[in-house]
Amino acid sequence: MAAVSVTAGRLLRLRAAGAEGYWRRLRGTGLARSFLQPASAGEDAAQTRQVAHFTFQPDPETREYGQTQKMNLFQSITSALDNSLAKDPTAVIFGEDVAFGGVFRCTVGLRDKYGKDRVFNTPLCEQGIVGFGIGIAVTGATAIAEIQFADYIFPAFDQIVNEAAKYRYRSGDLFNCGSLTIRSPWGCVGHGALYHSQSPEAFFAHCPGIKVVIPRSPFQAKGLLLSCIEDKNPCIFFEPKILYRAAGLNIMSSPCSVLNDKKKKMEQVPVEPYNIPLSQAEVIQEGSDVTLVAWGTQVHVIREVAAMAQEKLGVSCEIIDLRTIIPWDVDTVCKSVIKTGRLLISHEAPLTGGFASEISSTVQEECFLNLEAPISRVCGYDTPFPHIFEPFYIPDKWKCYDALRKMINY
Amino acid sequence: MRKMLAAVSRVLSGAAQKPASRVLVASRNFANDATFEIKKCDLHRLEEGPPVTTVLTREDGLKYYRMMQTVRRMELKADQLYKQKIIRGFCHLCDGQSFPPLTQEACCVGLEAGINPTDHLITAYRAHGFTFTRGLSVREILAELTGRRGGCAKGKGGSMHMYAKNFYGGNGIVGAQVPLGAGIALACKYNGKDEVCLTLYGDGAANQGQIFEAYNMAALWKLPCIFICENNRYGMGTSVERAAASTDYYKRGDFIPGLRVDGMDILCVREATRFAAAYCRSGKGPILMELQTYRYHGHSMSDPGVSYRTREEIQEVRSKSDPIMLLKDRMVNSNLASVEELKEIDVEVRKEIEDAAQFATADPEPPLEELGHHIYSSNPPFEVRGANQWIKFKSVS
Repeated sequence: MAAVSVTAGRLLRLRAAGAEGYWRRLRGTGLARSFLQPASAGEDAAQTRQVAHFTFQPDPETREYGQTQKMNLFQSITSALDNSLAKDPTAVIFGEDVAFGGVFRCTVGLRDKYGKDRVFNTPLCEQGIVGFGIGIAVTGATAIAEIQFADYIFPAFDQIVNEAAKYRYRSGDLFNCGSLTIRSPWGCVGHGALYHSQSPEAFFAHCPGIKVVIPRSPFQAKGLLLSCIEDKNPCIFFEPKILYRAAGLNIMSSPCSVLNDKKKKMEQVPVEPYNIPLSQAEVIQEGSDVTLVAWGTQVHVIREVAAMAQEKLGVSCEIIDLRTIIPWDVDTVCKSVIKTGRLLISHEAPLTGGFASEISSTVQEECFLNLEAPISRVCGYDTPFPHIFEPFYIPDKWKCYDALRKMINY
Repeated sequence: MRKMLAAVSRVLSGAAQKPASRVLVASRNFANDATFEIKKCDLHRLEEGPPVTTVLTREDGLKYYRMMQTVRRMELKADQLYKQKIIRGFCHLCDGQSFPPLTQEACCVGLEAGINPTDHLITAYRAHGFTFTRGLSVREILAELTGRRGGCAKGKGGSMHMYAKNFYGGNGIVGAQVPLGAGIALACKYNGKDEVCLTLYGDGAANQGQIFEAYNMAALWKLPCIFICENNRYGMGTSVERAAASTDYYKRGDFIPGLRVDGMDILCVREATRFAAAYCRSGKGPILMELQTYRYHGHSMSDPGVSYRTREEIQEVRSKSDPIMLLKDRMVNSNLASVEELKEIDVEVRKEIEDAAQFATADPEPPLEELGHHIYSSNPPFEVRGANQWIKFKSVS
């Protein structure tokens, strides 16, 4: 009961305070460190840590794929998996705790519907899970493995990079594990600390042979996941866990708090299967002055930044959701930069060696003479993902806005 | 009843002669020690196991009771603070696994009772109880949970990353701490100071490949490592029958001798630990212990704990095998302590926890400058790049 009232109170304060409440002092100023003092005294501290750093902006409904239903991210994943298991009799889903529905409820009801030989639990062994998945995929069956958190994918790193990615190459196309898809919750969640918040896409971007895909919303997630499963290459599908529904305590707490948060992150998603092509970035909003590139949760952050830029600076921003990290859509991004002349890339992963560096490097090679200002990267710090310092670590809209301003005034 | 007790204790504490009169009362009414029978341990590759009877002195009994009660209260307090959103993060309590270690107190206190403070211990994320038994105060633990600078890791680690002298944490990736434990045992052997290393992991992690790698190395080089599997029958949401081909975790070391211990009985745990430590110290190599325990709550604060097991099962264990209740009954029935005395300890413990919670809530958070600290060992301090090229932090170690 206490949890319900606390959460209800939090939601009311959220609506009242507005996302800008705490950051008001930072608006329009340079982000000198002195401004970023934590308000440790008083209830301010408790309030600030509960406000999410973004506002989810659902896409308008599409009618081209048939009847739609209101779903949030985990429901759209369940729907995609449901469609896959129905269409493909060889498809199996396995991972830690998937049988009862999974820690994020992504596989609820699937075991009852398709049987325990198609949806089953594995013991706690990531290397084993992926290796096992590769084995299933090599014989031609469709394997959908789940790694409980992207932070735990590292024991499986060897299997993914050395085995899965190189299978087709080293066997001269005799064998391949293309029907393998690995799904994993990804990204910061507000309170995940070191081992429940990582974004490891950059590690895998360095490995030819696999595809890495990150959706920004329920509609995108279902289409992209179905494409990954049907794609004839091993794919890693990272799901932004903060977008599943509300984060943390509310995951399985009282129904009304879940409902309140769920309502904010729902979209109309088609019930029938549909595909969104891989390796194609999407231009969400056309603009003429600056190109903003991001993926996953960060797309919603830069959408807000674009709105702020339009309102305060009269700057028209072009927003691109990269969607597939590798192989990434160089053409769309370069075409956009040629048009605007300025590029800002943002992600939660640390700055050094993050995927923004690859995009930045390629763009300056292709579009050097079109650039009006140095390419800006707004990313996480070069530290382990912090526990208590998370609100300062993540590249929120103020940091992006500041970088954008500096680029405009270059 | 409680008010009366409080009044009585107030009156007693007012009198200056209280200690003297207390001692008189003690020697008059209570036994000094008592012998108890404990469950025999299942053995693997061992001819004899720990003794089946043990002597518990009054002093030890009170000490264990106080420690167990402190750990339980601390975890319940942490639970409360988490629900109030003062503690954030993924909270794994000791009471029955996850956040509070309800029922796992016997493990922490029992293990500590069987070893010396100079021995080493490493575990996975259910670390709060061990942090306390290894010597840190409740204040430091709760402050770490709330992320304040008074915390043992200066607020940077949170629930899963607690460290103390000879206690190596506090590790988030399960299974990864076991090769570390084997390494610490190697260091113990090198240093020649007769120390052992207790390496704990859960029934879920017992299926990780790196644990078997650690078994092999420890047995090959005869390292003084006690591998301890805390089996609470569920790995997150998967019961042991559905995760492990062999649920006899004490036999999984194969060539490493093992014993299965009733983890809900603190005396059983203590005797088994003493036996295991003596085995290792004599240079015979590693040994494996399986502590059979249970968890009341879910895996962590986000898990209600009832979607994969029945409430009746939880209730049954709670009423029959609660370790604190077991110890209390034993002590009272053999005249080692009185019910009032134990209740007084409860009251004191409660107050101590309240104070600690106050401290943990009021202590300031670490300053923002510390965000970049302690990444590398660096002399002179270097600069850490921030979210964009204009933000830089100094990294000092």
